[in-house]
Amino acid sequence: MSQGLALSVVVPLYNEEESVGALVAAVREALAGMPSWELVLVDDGSRDATAAVAAERVAQDARVRLVRLARNYGQTQAMQAGFDCARGEVVVSMDGDLQNDPRDIPPLVAKLHEGYDLVAGYRVRRHDTFLTRKVPSWIANRIIAWLTGVRIRDNGCSLKAYRRTVLEQLDLYSDMHRFLPALAAATADARITEMPVRHHARRFGQSKYGLSRIAKVSADLLAIKMISSFRERPLTLFGAGALATALVGIALVVAWILLPLNSALHVHRVYVLPAAALLAFALACFLLMLGLIAVVALHATREASSRLAREGAVAAPSAQTLGRLS
Amino acid sequence: MTDLLTPGAHVDTTPRIDREPRHTALATVSVIVPVTERPDPLGALYEEYVAPLRERGRPFEFVFAVSPTSGAPTDTLAELAAQGEPIRVIGAERNVGETALIRAALKMCHGDIIVTLPAYRRVKAAALEDLIATVENGADVATARRWPRRDPLINRLQHRALHLLVGRLADNRVRDVGSGVRAVRRETFDDIPLYGDFARFLPLLALFRGYRVEEVDATQHPGDMQTRVYSPGVYVRRLIDLFGLYFLLKFMDKPLRFFGLAGATLGAFGGAVLVALAARKLSTGEAIGDKPLLLLGVLLLTLGAQAVALGLIGEMIVHFHAPGRRFYRIRPSAPAPPPDRPP
Repeated sequence: MSQGLALSVVVPLYNEEESVGALVAAVREALAGMPSWELVLVDDGSRDATAAVAAERVAQDARVRLVRLARNYGQTQAMQAGFDCARGEVVVSMDGDLQNDPRDIPPLVAKLHEGYDLVAGYRVRRHDTFLTRKVPSWIANRIIAWLTGVRIRDNGCSLKAYRRTVLEQLDLYSDMHRFLPALAAATADARITEMPVRHHARRFGQSKYGLSRIAKVSADLLAIKMISSFRERPLTLFGAGALATALVGIALVVAWILLPLNSALHVHRVYVLPAAALLAFALACFLLMLGLIAVVALHATREASSRLAREGAVAAPSAQTLGRLS
Repeated sequence: MTDLLTPGAHVDTTPRIDREPRHTALATVSVIVPVTERPDPLGALYEEYVAPLRERGRPFEFVFAVSPTSGAPTDTLAELAAQGEPIRVIGAERNVGETALIRAALKMCHGDIIVTLPAYRRVKAAALEDLIATVENGADVATARRWPRRDPLINRLQHRALHLLVGRLADNRVRDVGSGVRAVRRETFDDIPLYGDFARFLPLLALFRGYRVEEVDATQHPGDMQTRVYSPGVYVRRLIDLFGLYFLLKFMDKPLRFFGLAGATLGAFGGAVLVALAARKLSTGEAIGDKPLLLLGVLLLTLGAQAVALGLIGEMIVHFHAPGRRFYRIRPSAPAPPPDRPP
């Protein structure tokens, strides 16, 4: 697959017609000293002239390639498409809005060659609005580190270098690009480190994020926690939940027994507390049963994949979806 | 699914494509007619819709997939087939839906372009050629929009209600989901998983996959302008289908966002109730162990926890199936050439 190509730079683009030209020029300049490289531009269904501008650059330089997605799928899928097309031994991802600096790519790659599978950049002197970008991001990074045990200061920085062998073991869905280091650690046992990178103020256009993503990121955090800690043993998660709920039920029963029966209202008391306890027990049973369903799902998936492996039918995942590159 | 469908006694099973006039530059077309409810006489339907295809000199075949509950007599079709018309009729052994019929018929189709046609007249026959030409010119799905509409009030209201729900999902790019008359590139049809009653929403699923979907205005057939009222069960099923479709398109790869939000909302209400009760207990010393409100709080918390737990199961299933799964589709580099040969 990789014809001795050392480096692929993957850049997802969504409505970046003003940035593309400068981006390609900056990457070419920054990588002038690298032996062999390619730049994979992924147009994520832009509604402006991004694809046309990118196609011009592709025509001028054989090392620049363009993948056009059929519609706007979001950054995660755009990155996945770029990873699927990348041919280099090392893959570097970065944003298309010129906020990352391509001059940071060679140091990232050098760091990777010190014996890591993933090097994440963290932005020093970040040029973003304080309240809507920096504060939520700081909190989110702390929570991610705490939940997943992968201590990365800046998960949101797109500038990262990966070993291809690691990316081949990852399958991104939802908005998982934000949690890529945690996912890589959980599913590919990646050795991860980080290093400082430059960050520039936005030159063109508007930031494509807002505060509204906090709810989404919270849900995703819970999902990534479950995946990183319980993907091999889902029953532990649900079993622990069931146990905790059952304990609440028991506490309610105890409270009911210990309550003095001297009140005139004790008849009601007789019903309400035990009813709440029963609800807690019902929830415990429900959680336990869900845990069993998770075991069934896990087992069926593993069985199917080992069956495929036995039959030697594990094809390259990208073979079906990779269409023609322009 | 083919095992459900067995050729009836009077069925011609040999694939026969009418290539008589032989314009090989034109794409071969398979027309699938799922026959479920209130079908028009099938022989006459065939004669009517075959005319434009024949006029254009296009190689084609018709596959009628008949559900036993339709009660549609197929002897005229058998007669036509015996006369050499490219017709095949397959029958289901038990009552299956339109989607299952289409899927079974698809397995025996040979065309490069698949046309689905309801067994009752919705649009004038000429629309068929327009739809096929749209696909030949690069669209992946061409769907007929009955326009201008001349509908009785009841039909109009039904149409409005459907599109109120569907409109946002379709990005308002499909303004007549219900027409059921479509031309679809074979590969596109094969790529979209169809089950349940989702054949109805094929254009939406295709849009979601990133295929090029185009609407083509088609003259409404006079027969389509009669008032149609279905049993209440049908409406309930449609509504449930829409709900399922909405969930699938929005949360297919992130179920926890849906369940998490639902669970957090329920849990927050439950928590608020419990906190209010506790505050009352602490401030006034009033007993709360006997208040039904306590039960409500606990119940809401329980429901919230259940919703979140279900979402986690969903995420787990998505994660287990992630290996090799890709959600994106790469745009073909040039407008796709006509399936056969450029005209």
